[in-house]
Amino acid sequence: MDSKNKVMTLEEAIKEFVHDGDWVALSGFVTNRKPYAAVREIIKQGRKDLYLESGPGGGDVDMLIGAGCVKVLLNSYTANSGFSQVCRRFRKYVEEGKILMEDYSLDVHTLLYHAAALGLPYIAVKNMLGSDLVSKWGIPEEVYANDPKLPSQKLIIERNPFNPDEQLCLVPTPKIDISIVHVQKAAQDGTARIEGPQFGDIDLAMAAKNCIITCEEIVHHDELRREPWQNQIPNIVPDAVVHLPYGAHPAQCANHYDYDGLFLRMYDKVSGDDKLFQEYLDEWVFGIKDHCEYLNKIGTNRLMSLRVQPGYGYVPGLKRR
Amino acid sequence: MRSMAEWTTRQMMVTAIARQIEDHKAYVIGTGLPLIGATFAKKTTAPNAILIFESGMIDGDPQEVPTSVSDLRISYHSSALIPQYRYFGFKSNAHKKDIITTGFLGGAQIDPYGNLNSTAIGDYDRPKTRFTGSGGANGIATYFNTIIMMQHQKRRFCEKVDYVTSPGWIDGNNGRARMGLPADRGPHAVITELGVMRFDKESKRMYLSEYFPGVTPRQIQDNTGFVLDVSRAEQFHLPGLEMLEIMISKVDPQRLMI
Repeated sequence: MDSKNKVMTLEEAIKEFVHDGDWVALSGFVTNRKPYAAVREIIKQGRKDLYLESGPGGGDVDMLIGAGCVKVLLNSYTANSGFSQVCRRFRKYVEEGKILMEDYSLDVHTLLYHAAALGLPYIAVKNMLGSDLVSKWGIPEEVYANDPKLPSQKLIIERNPFNPDEQLCLVPTPKIDISIVHVQKAAQDGTARIEGPQFGDIDLAMAAKNCIITCEEIVHHDELRREPWQNQIPNIVPDAVVHLPYGAHPAQCANHYDYDGLFLRMYDKVSGDDKLFQEYLDEWVFGIKDHCEYLNKIGTNRLMSLRVQPGYGYVPGLKRR
Repeated sequence: MRSMAEWTTRQMMVTAIARQIEDHKAYVIGTGLPLIGATFAKKTTAPNAILIFESGMIDGDPQEVPTSVSDLRISYHSSALIPQYRYFGFKSNAHKKDIITTGFLGGAQIDPYGNLNSTAIGDYDRPKTRFTGSGGANGIATYFNTIIMMQHQKRRFCEKVDYVTSPGWIDGNNGRARMGLPADRGPHAVITELGVMRFDKESKRMYLSEYFPGVTPRQIQDNTGFVLDVSRAEQFHLPGLEMLEIMISKVDPQRLMI
């Protein structure tokens, strides 16, 4: 079969597809299937002024903010739930006004990805009506009016033209430059398969101009094409495929590993303090040559202890505190 | 033998939550005490209740306490894992299919009409304290009846919240319709460590419904930053101790939450 080989190193993929000032969207949901390895590489390469969004964010979003990569955050939620109830760099940067942040509801965000993947210009919903998500904007009006990356306004309240008694909230879809989605299986041609919960990630992959897939396993495309109905991302979507076993650590990845509760506890501590956070970046991001060195540093015993138990889909009795 | 005094506050709250759960109905659940309460109901009074999570995990049967609504512990024994936008569809179609009617919320501030803040304290642009933000809360408040978990303190029960993340009854009767929200859905109960509040059918204003044993209505008013009607209040009725045994042994054996 003649197909393009899209396999790259992580360094190459981030260099080619993530640029300063890009609109970046990350896969996963707080502590599940977050593209952490890619996040570390973005920080290492020193990207800045990013417009960042993600399925409900966790430490992935928090690290990018703390490392100074983010100019605008568009999000509904940022927590390593159960470990950091509010992500601590996120909280500090918003409280100190060091980033622009726009709040949405999770539903609206999910639908915005879906609409963007379908090429629709905006969504019309009841969500956010009657709340300050409508009346208080995190990004000032003049920034919306003048920044070509952003829509002209956060939203508009309008009557339904088909039913004038009904009020609707019209929210413009984002113009995502690059999405980064961590999956379980991908072929070198870009065909990809998510196992376990998908969240909004198929939409996110398809909404962006470019897409990087990071994966637990590179699988021969004949194997993935044996049951193509199990694949959600067709080969025409991704631009790069990067093989990164444990690429979502310290988050979970269905059929592979549970979250690393002790690591997330450690992150909770270091992310609450400027100096400790800088030391954490030096130790776990800048001081690490590549993903293999990262895994060596975590250690085989630790990584093996996180392997999910088939039948449960997680590690029963995992040490979490 | 255990005595009544052995019911902790959290265990009473879990009992109060479980009483809101009807058999064969579906509930949108967050993590924390609502999940514990819903699991308790499933093990006792509502074995066929269905738990739905905004991450798209439907009717899971968690065996261990999950840390988030995306935790793989929730997907155990699920009916299906659906894309999140399908979860949105269930909500916006809720008025057509009366399967899901109720969801659980929590927040940092609440006003007398159940409008809820889980975004920021102080000025939104430069908040004194920033929280996670809406997550799925705003959508739940838009489309469903809600049961709200709060810590009962004067600064949290206030006349006006700093930011409305999740709309309640707005300013009383007809407030929701005026805002374009489904008018027949809204906050039903507020459960705190002191008792259970409900909302008046006509005025939609919060009143004290039940106070936990060891707590007085006066004490609850003193911890509330607005005038609370306590004239209808009754003491919370505790179930038999066999229920406490089930809660401890079957719902949270690791004792992470209760």
